[in-house]
Amino acid sequence: MQLDSAHRARSHRSPRRQAGSLGHGVGLRREHFDRVLAAPSEVDWFEVISENFMVRGGRPLAILDRVRRDHPVVLHGVSLSIGSTDPIDGGYLAQLEELIDRVEPAWVSDHLCWTHVGGFNSHDLLPLPYTDEALDHVCDRVEAVQSRLGRAIALENPSTYLRFAAEQIPEWEFLAEVARRAGCGVLLDVNNVFVSASNHDFDADTYLRAIPPESVWQIHLAGHTDCGTHLLDTHSRAVCDEVWDLYRDATRRFGEIPTLVEWDADLPEWEVLEAESERARAIQREELTGRGEGPP
Amino acid sequence: MTTSLRELQALFWQLLQAPEGVEARWAAMRDAGWTAHGDLSDCIAPSARMTPVEHLEIYSNMYFVRLRDCLEEDYPKLCEWIGPESFRRLVVDYLLAHPPSHFSLREVGRALPGFLSSHPLHGKDEQLAGLAALEWARVDVFDERDAEPVSRETLVAEAAADPDGFSVSLIPASRILPVAAGVLPLWRRLDTGVEAAPDASRAAEPAVVLVWRRDSSIRHRSLASDEARALEGLRSKPATVVRLAERVLAGSDLDASHDAGPQRFAEILDRWTHDGILVRASVESRPGLLD
Repeated sequence: MQLDSAHRARSHRSPRRQAGSLGHGVGLRREHFDRVLAAPSEVDWFEVISENFMVRGGRPLAILDRVRRDHPVVLHGVSLSIGSTDPIDGGYLAQLEELIDRVEPAWVSDHLCWTHVGGFNSHDLLPLPYTDEALDHVCDRVEAVQSRLGRAIALENPSTYLRFAAEQIPEWEFLAEVARRAGCGVLLDVNNVFVSASNHDFDADTYLRAIPPESVWQIHLAGHTDCGTHLLDTHSRAVCDEVWDLYRDATRRFGEIPTLVEWDADLPEWEVLEAESERARAIQREELTGRGEGPP
Repeated sequence: MTTSLRELQALFWQLLQAPEGVEARWAAMRDAGWTAHGDLSDCIAPSARMTPVEHLEIYSNMYFVRLRDCLEEDYPKLCEWIGPESFRRLVVDYLLAHPPSHFSLREVGRALPGFLSSHPLHGKDEQLAGLAALEWARVDVFDERDAEPVSRETLVAEAAADPDGFSVSLIPASRILPVAAGVLPLWRRLDTGVEAAPDASRAAEPAVVLVWRRDSSIRHRSLASDEARALEGLRSKPATVVRLAERVLAGSDLDASHDAGPQRFAEILDRWTHDGILVRASVESRPGLLD
């Protein structure tokens, strides 16, 4: 399935440009529902895990509706399984469409990975071999999904803990090429770049330089855990200094990109999460107003 | 040897589900002729710090830990009752027998109560499957479809105005399930830390339990036999209030021609409307389906 070039150009630009910059958001998690609804906050927007709200009713959807009344929301999925060799799950896309209609999200994203195979779901963001075969496969599926949804999607670079022997293309080139060929956006997870760079001994700056600025719709920030032999993307702590530094570099390169802080385990008080988001806002402001260092 | 994307993903999935360890699983797969690769490094690149097996172990460990965390969240009382180590072993057995197939983590634990009923743990403690079924029913109604319950006043007024047309059904966010003797006291004890009162003898017998959601609160209670029969019927077909009364009385020893029968039905109706479990039957469910 091919998209015409005009569609591709629109796909790259539309969600981010139409929305302007959403500013600075956080991932909406159950533990913070009451606090988010009880009082105003400095947070501009929220990202939710799509699958958590692909349900029929109850409190999750009621909370989401209330949050959406006052804030932009981005739908961030974990089960699209864009790299799987299983057929695309039509039932999943139907439920995603239903949620999109309900939420009217600023945009929809998922991960450059695979989660299910042979009809089974690992519920993990499993790594792809960065090969020509995988590149063709992913591009075809992104185009099919975008055609079905009637909108472009953004794909996030995952943290990875192994590399395949058959690898032919560096991850950053693979991601950039998927964005270029399929006309999708990039959700650049700066923490994941840092984690994978450390795990696989590559240069994080090289990664950032390879991503076309016009393709980046959103940035993720999160904390990780040092396991000794490798870094693990746990989302269980504050963003570390090295990742903040990389975020400065990303801001200088990509500009005023909507930025979201994720925190999923060992959740802190809301105010701690909010402060992380405010720190991102301050860094972006410093870099964009020239109070930071020069361009990388 | 070139390995296709499909082959790599199938291989990865097999090695992921390896509670015995990736190395042992890989050896077993090779011995069984599952793979033509002589060495795992043909597929997974070694790094300066780790072997291919060690790289894969990261994913395999995360697979079991993530899904165990999810199941522990759905079955906190089962986990508390059998202890974390038994729960961990149960989860491994369960995931090997029922690897997740749905895209949502929410569905991972759906088959656990059924699985438990034939698991060796159940042989030692027959309350386990019932406890799990009760916990799953509570999970299941949590995000079930919303519906506005009818009040006692509305029900009485509408039934009087249109006795043959006004009908009710059970709210979607409800489940009715039988549980073995002792399950309800066990649940309460795990919930409150307090032993069931000595006079709660009925709760120690097999019971039919109603689980439902009222606003955002998940509740459950045992049903009397006449209630259980009537609600089971209501679950499959909407009914008029008159028909509902007939069902309740058919399930009890009371005679509708005496005061006790109508009085019992009035009590039950009070309870159901107070619980918020009746809804106005939707128009599309009425033709041909009304009982």
